[in-house]
Amino acid sequence: MVQKKNAVIVGGGTSKFGVRQAHLLDMFQEAAKACSDDIPALKPADIDGLIVCTTMAGRHSSALNTAPLVVHRLGLKPTSICIRLDTLCAGSNSGIIVAKGLVESGIAEVILVTGAEKVYMPQRWETNYTQLMVNDHDWDSAMGLGVPPPFFAMIAKMHMKRYRTTKEQMAHVSVANYNYGTTNPKGHFSGRTLTLQEALEARIIADPFGLYDCCPLSDGASAVIIASEERAKELSDRPLVYIRGTGQHATHSMSAGWPGETLAEWPHLKKAGEVAYKNAQLTPKDIDVAQVHDCFSISEIIEMEELGFCKKGEGGDYVASGAINLDGELPVNTDGGLISVGHPFGASGARQSIEICKQLQGRAINQVKNAEFGLAHNLSGTCAQHTVVIYGKEPVE
Amino acid sequence: MSDIKEVKIVGTPALEGTYISEMDMWPFECQEFNRIYPFYENLREGKFTTTKCQKCGHIAYPPGVICPKCWSEELEWVELPQRAKVVTFTETQAGAPIGFELPLIMAWLDFGKDSPLKQLLARIVNCAEGELKEGDEVKFIVFNVPSHPIDVKKETKICDRVYYAFEPVK
Ligand SMILES: [Zn+2]
Repeated sequence: MVQKKNAVIVGGGTSKFGVRQAHLLDMFQEAAKACSDDIPALKPADIDGLIVCTTMAGRHSSALNTAPLVVHRLGLKPTSICIRLDTLCAGSNSGIIVAKGLVESGIAEVILVTGAEKVYMPQRWETNYTQLMVNDHDWDSAMGLGVPPPFFAMIAKMHMKRYRTTKEQMAHVSVANYNYGTTNPKGHFSGRTLTLQEALEARIIADPFGLYDCCPLSDGASAVIIASEERAKELSDRPLVYIRGTGQHATHSMSAGWPGETLAEWPHLKKAGEVAYKNAQLTPKDIDVAQVHDCFSISEIIEMEELGFCKKGEGGDYVASGAINLDGELPVNTDGGLISVGHPFGASGARQSIEICKQLQGRAINQVKNAEFGLAHNLSGTCAQHTVVIYGKEPVE
Repeated sequence: MSDIKEVKIVGTPALEGTYISEMDMWPFECQEFNRIYPFYENLREGKFTTTKCQKCGHIAYPPGVICPKCWSEELEWVELPQRAKVVTFTETQAGAPIGFELPLIMAWLDFGKDSPLKQLLARIVNCAEGELKEGDEVKFIVFNVPSHPIDVKKETKICDRVYYAFEPVK
């Protein structure tokens, strides 16, 4: 029997995120270029598999079967896999899960996982309108559920009611992430900083959220190389970063299927985390750095709870205690997260995984000392699905 | 550019007097495009219904073609409660998807322990901004939404549509 191979993340890069004067396919090329700059030995011919992650391509760029378009623009000739994948906000971390399986099984050796979105349209209303098509259209969208803030505002209200979470605690998430992201050259809000007072005095977007509680929608692209350990050693001299364990869990599509007792409980995330920890042979205590899906400040708070970094209901205290800061117990979203870097849906997962890769290789901008294990998490849809990927400097036994 | 004939700007060719069904926010409700069309026919009679499994008894929402618990195809239509309590809600004053009136009020509803449908996100209509409170009772209401054409051989048939929301019990 053939021994299972180990899958590693070799490196990666992103385009500039933000409101871009660029086509979707331009940004796929920018991300690939940034990825090759990060892995100088990488040549297009080394890549035998391609996983393209995008949600809006079909509608906003009239590019439904996106993978061949990316093949052509990047000059690739994939032989093992060439697919487009869509799990909305979790696109490229889902792509990494698929790539891991293909590499471990020997089907592929070097896979480019790339995600991109062209979110902004010639008229702003078109972007909001498209979001009626990314929820459960005939049920929740027909109720007016399009852009996410109203839904997550209800989640926040419920968490405030049940666990006494405060607006100020939520603001600590925004402040931490803006201040991490200020040094990220590719972020939507690069160079911006935020104080607690500014966060609390910001204009209201959807009660209780002020402007800085919400991540922006962004155009952008990201690309990573997932390879076998053997090929990774040929491509780079950097320390190897192994994909130790993954978990992905969905329980419903529309609101009627919400799995929690209330909106403040996310048992489907808890489950995805438990599966990933088990596969990674780790516990929450082992994680040194995390990238979690801070689409809203409240999301990061609930994710701290459900991923086991603090007790249920204590997420607000946890983030306000400074635990998520660089000198804290668990630095979180050290590249700025969705709140500062922005959120081009399909590109966000790989962007998070690149940051974890850099942290574990000791070359992040906001470097966590001696980081051995890192976790990336996305929620997608109307909090319908959760995706967790855990990395480490050693493979699982 | 000189040899390109100047043409009248026609915009989106498909918009020339036609309706783009794939672009709106309402379901395809007619029998030709939906096997759960009885849901919409029941709406027209003011009934809020879904499918119940005759094999295992599970009541699903939304209605389906198979039971999501046991995958049986033996389903029957049953009525759901039409009154619920507001657990929490949100009022959108700006940035609602085009086509929805402001304020767009959405509420998380609780139908009670005995209801097969426990929780639902729903739009609250006939309600002024600032009027709704947590704990308020709301009731089911049906209204007309835009119809769309379908091709039936060489003819065009118009499919009328309805949808539902909830309104405060006053
Ligand atoms: Zn059944």
